[in-house]
Amino acid sequence: MEEKVLEVLEEYCEEALGYKGDNMMEEGVIDSFTVINIVSELEDVFDIEIDAKYVVAENFRNKEAIIELVRQLVEE
Amino acid sequence: MKTDFQRIVVIGYGKVTGEVLKYTYDRGADYGYGLEFIEHELHALSVTKLICEERGIPFASMPDKRELAAYLGEIEEKTLIISASNNFLFPASLVERENITIINFHNALLPDYPGRNAPSWVIYQGEERTGITWHYVTAGVDEGNIIIQKSCEIGPDTRAYELTEELMNLASEGFYECFDAVLTECAMTRPQSFPPGRRMYRSTEIPGDGFMDLEEKPENLYRLLRSVDYGKSGIFPPLQTEIGGARAEVLRYRKISPEKKKEEAGMVYLPLDDGNLLKIKYRTL
Repeated sequence: MEEKVLEVLEEYCEEALGYKGDNMMEEGVIDSFTVINIVSELEDVFDIEIDAKYVVAENFRNKEAIIELVRQLVEE
Repeated sequence: MKTDFQRIVVIGYGKVTGEVLKYTYDRGADYGYGLEFIEHELHALSVTKLICEERGIPFASMPDKRELAAYLGEIEEKTLIISASNNFLFPASLVERENITIINFHNALLPDYPGRNAPSWVIYQGEERTGITWHYVTAGVDEGNIIIQKSCEIGPDTRAYELTEELMNLASEGFYECFDAVLTECAMTRPQSFPPGRRMYRSTEIPGDGFMDLEEKPENLYRLLRSVDYGKSGIFPPLQTEIGGARAEVLRYRKISPEKKKEEAGMVYLPLDDGNLLKIKYRTL
């Protein structure tokens, strides 16, 4: 699963893969439009629904947070 | 450089607002104006507050229309209000004041597509080009003199949020280009000429009235789907349709090549003229 998430990130925001911090949105690594693309792709790849309540900066603060979000939704 | 404006107030949200804030902050030393930001609409992914905090730009959150109108109404200095991706309608009493000048970014080529959600309507109507307009604000909605316009193509697969992003980039470029002229009050403007029957798009209107008739041509459906696609932002409710006599809600869609087709429940595939398939995932209501 992790590998697939990283593949999606590589396609839409390669910078996120090397980012080591905790504030990817605020530091300008990723913007809201890229988040839309990533969410759309993750939904398709994992056949999950990512509700709007999960689309907040906290869940996109770094790649680990995105992986954790997908893990939770896949296990639901 | 010299301007008579003593104060700049930025109102809005999103990418353009962020760029406008950064630019006006950077140019402040050239002109000596005071700068502040007002957040009228809240967005989960907004970074405008952070931009203000980092630069020490005064920030105020005013979600209440009356509070905002009252605040702006008390301004006494000569002030430029920059409205970028802002849905607050400035009252005529404010617009007409001598000491207040307001410019607004509109995400279409005015006088066409005034009102709300213009990127959606241009996609839905099958336009091949659109663009942005910076204009002076008058009492009428999106009716003031045009300061600058920039245009772009709409691709055959462009979704509303992708177009919005492109328009925001154009809006930032346009703002940088016209800023000095606006501030020194020497912008060359042109009045809008309004075609008969010009339609104002309202926030309550949804392309296709929010319903997708699967009997329609798949190209039209694809256009409708792309026109309301803002990801999870909730600008429009999910499109509804009718499948096998039951009401259903569209969850997501994608254009795929035929070899990627997988038969599964809750999915329809419609053939497109270019040989691809329009895959639509739905949930019965």
